[in-house]
Amino acid sequence: MMTAALTPGVAAIVLFGTFFTLFLLRVPVAFALGLACLPSLIIEARLSPMMLFNETFKAYNSFILLAVPFYLLTANLMNVGGVTDRLVRLSRSMVGNFPGALAQINVVLSVFFAGISGSSTADAASQSKVFIDAQVKEGYGLSFSIAITAVSAVLAVIIPPSILMIVWGGVISTSIGAMYLAGFLPGLLIAAAQMVTVHVYAKIYHYPVYPRASLKEFFYSLWISLPALATAFIIVGGVLLGWFTPTESACVAVLYTIVLSVFIYREMNLKNLYQSLVETGRLSSVALFCVGTASAFGWLLAYYQIPRALLENVSTWGMGITQAGFFIAGVFLVVGCFLDAIPAIIIFGTILQPLAASVGMHPIHFAIIGIVSLAFGLVTPPYGLCLMIACSVARVPVRFAIKDTMIMLMPMLAMLAAIIIWPEIPLILPKLIAPELLK
Amino acid sequence: MKRLLDGYHRLLTWLMAATVAILIVPVTLQIVSRYTALIPSWIWTEELSRFLFIWMIMLGAMVAVREGTHFVVDVWPQLEPRPAALLGVVANVFVLVFALVFVWWGVQFVRFGWDQTSELAELPMTYIFIAWPVAGLTWLLFLGEAFVRDARVLAGRGAR
Repeated sequence: MMTAALTPGVAAIVLFGTFFTLFLLRVPVAFALGLACLPSLIIEARLSPMMLFNETFKAYNSFILLAVPFYLLTANLMNVGGVTDRLVRLSRSMVGNFPGALAQINVVLSVFFAGISGSSTADAASQSKVFIDAQVKEGYGLSFSIAITAVSAVLAVIIPPSILMIVWGGVISTSIGAMYLAGFLPGLLIAAAQMVTVHVYAKIYHYPVYPRASLKEFFYSLWISLPALATAFIIVGGVLLGWFTPTESACVAVLYTIVLSVFIYREMNLKNLYQSLVETGRLSSVALFCVGTASAFGWLLAYYQIPRALLENVSTWGMGITQAGFFIAGVFLVVGCFLDAIPAIIIFGTILQPLAASVGMHPIHFAIIGIVSLAFGLVTPPYGLCLMIACSVARVPVRFAIKDTMIMLMPMLAMLAAIIIWPEIPLILPKLIAPELLK
Repeated sequence: MKRLLDGYHRLLTWLMAATVAILIVPVTLQIVSRYTALIPSWIWTEELSRFLFIWMIMLGAMVAVREGTHFVVDVWPQLEPRPAALLGVVANVFVLVFALVFVWWGVQFVRFGWDQTSELAELPMTYIFIAWPVAGLTWLLFLGEAFVRDARVLAGRGAR
């Protein structure tokens, strides 16, 4: 029953053509997505620009997305409340004696950070301030420093908790608890790949090393970091045990971080608190505003049945799970170059889901492939938010750090391939811990 | 004029920070009420948090237009001030179109919500829907300022 004035092909050209043209003219992405909807909304007799309001309203009127500001706020509070400092100290006592010490600390800190906050952009914003200048002062290359900060930030959405998993669970109805468990191993593998990369760089460019920390220092820094590290268990455990919903768990993370900063580490004051609130509001609303217009855009794609037209041929290729996995990862990697991860899930996750189901891919496997690919999209130009944030903190244009970022992506892509080929990598932990979630 | 806009900008920023802070309250109440009998489990907590959330996004989207922090994709090489100003004008014209859409159809959107009340807390939906035209009007103000600034760059350098 097609009563639309435009055929799927023409509609796709109008939608994507307008979007790309505007985007090249440096119109902000959120506005470009919204404006691209206008021609269709005006041409089609059955639609009106009111759709734009309905769809953005529906997108924002969502309890799930509340996790975005909460995780950003958690990250900002960790920085001003002294949590980050203690985790840096712990990371230093663990890997400070490795070649390229400060860069290794950068990666390890991202792992800890990822266990508490679920936002990569927050990780990139805070670690860029902590590490880029410090690394350059110690003789590391600027472009290397930017690149390693940006690529390690992507761990935040792969290692639980993760905003992307919460959104994925909301859009494609997959168990968020199972995704949390499934994200651990892939996240650690990718972190390991990054540490190897840093090691190779450090050997080639003779990056500095710190003296080995004493065992006493290690245990002391572990002791003072324990309350902070416990956050990860409270959040992930709380969700798995059904104490609170994933969105509520993000609020719990905020409350717990406030308690830590005010009563245990005692480093927060009102001015810091206000600054954290403003920063949180700024970053999360800019990201979320884009989710609204992307939803309207995605709604129109569905209205014209463009996804079906695009995938009509794909399902006849007769792909197996592995080929389909590479195809899905490829689509998400390309999409991730141009779109933020949340809109990408809303628009493309739903498109690819039938394909994954038709080849018999496990929904959790599909989710992890999608999330890891989209996480990599956070550092791929032209639209890689983490890379853009790291570069803006360092006050250089994005193209300055592209080469090193691409080099660092190679081993990470190898890990993605491993995740695609061996579904056991993401699936083993949920199988062992909570098999009932995999059904 | 600049001082007025600065003041308005500060007010919006303050309101945005306040919505972020207040957001924590209903969600916390929701969790607490589930495990203790201290407070009844009000059903409006979830709805209230969603509505605050909508206002936070719209306020942030308004502020970001003045601060120029809406994400743009930079495919252009480093431009001289004049071409950069020209490109800024072109991009802002499109943002202007979007702002006008928000004002024009936003008013209809508000009218549409005139007689509606929310499902749980029975708040008039007007309080929520009005965020869209307000955003549109605010963008118009901030865009006007940006146009004047870019026009000065274009004219100033042109005279030389």
